[in-house]
Amino acid sequence: MDSSNDEALDIIITNVVATFRTRCHLNLRTIALEGTNVIYKPEVGKVLMKLRKPMITASIWSSGKIICTGATSEDEAKLGARRLARCLQKLGFKVRFSAFKVVNVLAVCSMPFAVNLINFTKNNRPIASYEPELHPAATYRIKNLKATIQVFSTGSLTVTGPNVQNVATAVEQVYPLLFECQKPRCK
Amino acid sequence: MSAAGMRCPACGSTNIVDDDLYSQAQLVCVDCGSVVSEGVLANDPVGGSDVSFSRTTAVAKRPCTNLIKGQQRVKAICRILMVNREIEDLSQTYYKMAYEHKAFLKVSLQKKEILTGCCVLLSCRQLNWPITVGTISCLLDADSMAVGAIYQEMVKNLSIEAPIINVTDVIEAHCHEYKISSLDVPEELAENSRDLTKRAVALVELAADSWIVTGRKPIPIMMAATYLAWQSLKPNKHRLKFSLDKFCQVAKVKKLKSAMKRVAEIKEVLCKLGKEIPWVRETVTPDNVIQLVECILQNRYALLRRAMRTHEDALLEESQASCAEAPPEGTASSQISECADQTPITSFVKQNGSNSDGKEKPGDVDYNPRVLPEHSDTQESQNPPPNWGKRVLFAPPCVIHAKKRRAVQPEHTDVTGDEEISDSEIDSYIRTPQEARDFALMQQMLSLSDSAKS
Repeated sequence: MDSSNDEALDIIITNVVATFRTRCHLNLRTIALEGTNVIYKPEVGKVLMKLRKPMITASIWSSGKIICTGATSEDEAKLGARRLARCLQKLGFKVRFSAFKVVNVLAVCSMPFAVNLINFTKNNRPIASYEPELHPAATYRIKNLKATIQVFSTGSLTVTGPNVQNVATAVEQVYPLLFECQKPRCK
Repeated sequence: MSAAGMRCPACGSTNIVDDDLYSQAQLVCVDCGSVVSEGVLANDPVGGSDVSFSRTTAVAKRPCTNLIKGQQRVKAICRILMVNREIEDLSQTYYKMAYEHKAFLKVSLQKKEILTGCCVLLSCRQLNWPITVGTISCLLDADSMAVGAIYQEMVKNLSIEAPIINVTDVIEAHCHEYKISSLDVPEELAENSRDLTKRAVALVELAADSWIVTGRKPIPIMMAATYLAWQSLKPNKHRLKFSLDKFCQVAKVKKLKSAMKRVAEIKEVLCKLGKEIPWVRETVTPDNVIQLVECILQNRYALLRRAMRTHEDALLEESQASCAEAPPEGTASSQISECADQTPITSFVKQNGSNSDGKEKPGDVDYNPRVLPEHSDTQESQNPPPNWGKRVLFAPPCVIHAKKRRAVQPEHTDVTGDEEISDSEIDSYIRTPQEARDFALMQQMLSLSDSAKS
């Protein structure tokens, strides 16, 4: 990931959400009975299974669709998903790991300067919106990357996007816009 | 067919006249009275008329009753807020546009009601009349989040741009709400609205300069500023004893919880500035700073500069005292002059908790990468270098009291996603048959005892 400017930033991925399918019906009561680290929610119709390494929580539905959250990278999400599928296999279900897809990536980033949100919003309407009474951050949505960036006045950003590459590109795109609206930290 | 040149078939006379029977054209012989020929009863074209049934039976399209009601509500809200004619007309236009937009055509009535308030809000913003979302949600008796959501949707769908209001614009309107003039309260508590506003505006500007306003809801800040302004205009014992609760009761305003925190934060800033006043001998505490508020606000820029300089000098002395070597001095001064040009930063996309000292804000540490290794050598007693909130005199409270990060997980940089998964690992997630039986038994016993109890 080469950036055009020679300053670049630490982007820390805090959450990766992925889904996959087992292509077979799953009996949730069996999983609840024979699995450890399992929470059964009959009112919703799903089972929550937590893995220790990698630290992942999976929501398992009886149709065989599974959502994994809590991973800190795309590869880790895949590993966790495969581990989960293996676990279900051992419990006796005819599991086939398929349709693995990373659905959402959440990352945080911190600018080395504070940002004047009012100027930033003025310069980038209507892509940016800021309502201080509703939320302390300005929201910047990049349509073609399908990424949403929330900019706080302290210079912290939270970025969500469909994959890690989009998230990194989004930060690169927004950096120059933030740079021109920066606020000196000491007055 | 004309009557001329025709002969009656019955009697042969040529005396034939047009004698229409109601709407039917008829040619009748005068002599014998027989009908020679008649026209068609109706003039419908063969095969159906050109005009469709629905068009012939259509009534003039009336505007929807809900639209009319909504427009009346918009008018009512405008009258309550006492805005000018232009804003009222503009809100009516916006309401009509939004109502007929496909995004809002099928929403619930409640949303349409909230839409009325949002139109007023939008037109006020565009024509520079400062009102807050809080005011509108009060008038509509709706949740301010719901109002905000519909407002944003409306702005997006109608593609309108509205300027954002500043706290300083709204504070005048806010101060007018407080019933604290001499007509409403006893003389000792009364205050002229203009003086109150002026003092409150100055306090809000000071708060804005010292990171209290950024990212916070505006109304608690305005409330805190008004309260402190009122106290400082006549800082006698009686007024100083008045708590925020009592003040809001007297002024007939609903108190907000976070206003107390803002009061404390503003007082802290005032103390920091009060310390710099050269002729004040005693220590400035939040209790006795109210008397100095007038003086502080009059000279606030000078006091701000002095406070900054004192703070920088103090930091310099501190770093000189703790590290004897020359390089740290350079680091301290490079930290202080943060406004100067940025040093290049190494980049990599990382997982959670990149640094060896996990407590740190990452952007912060990497901001001065060359500084960090020296720092950790010379200041090993101090765990991570303090975040920028502690180094600077004024910083947002969220930075000063930064949340502690979790203990760093061992990095998983070598995960590829396609590795082998050993059986033993998986077995740790599965109960042995004995455990499963025990678990089932226990669940049975629990459910039995529950049903026995109930």
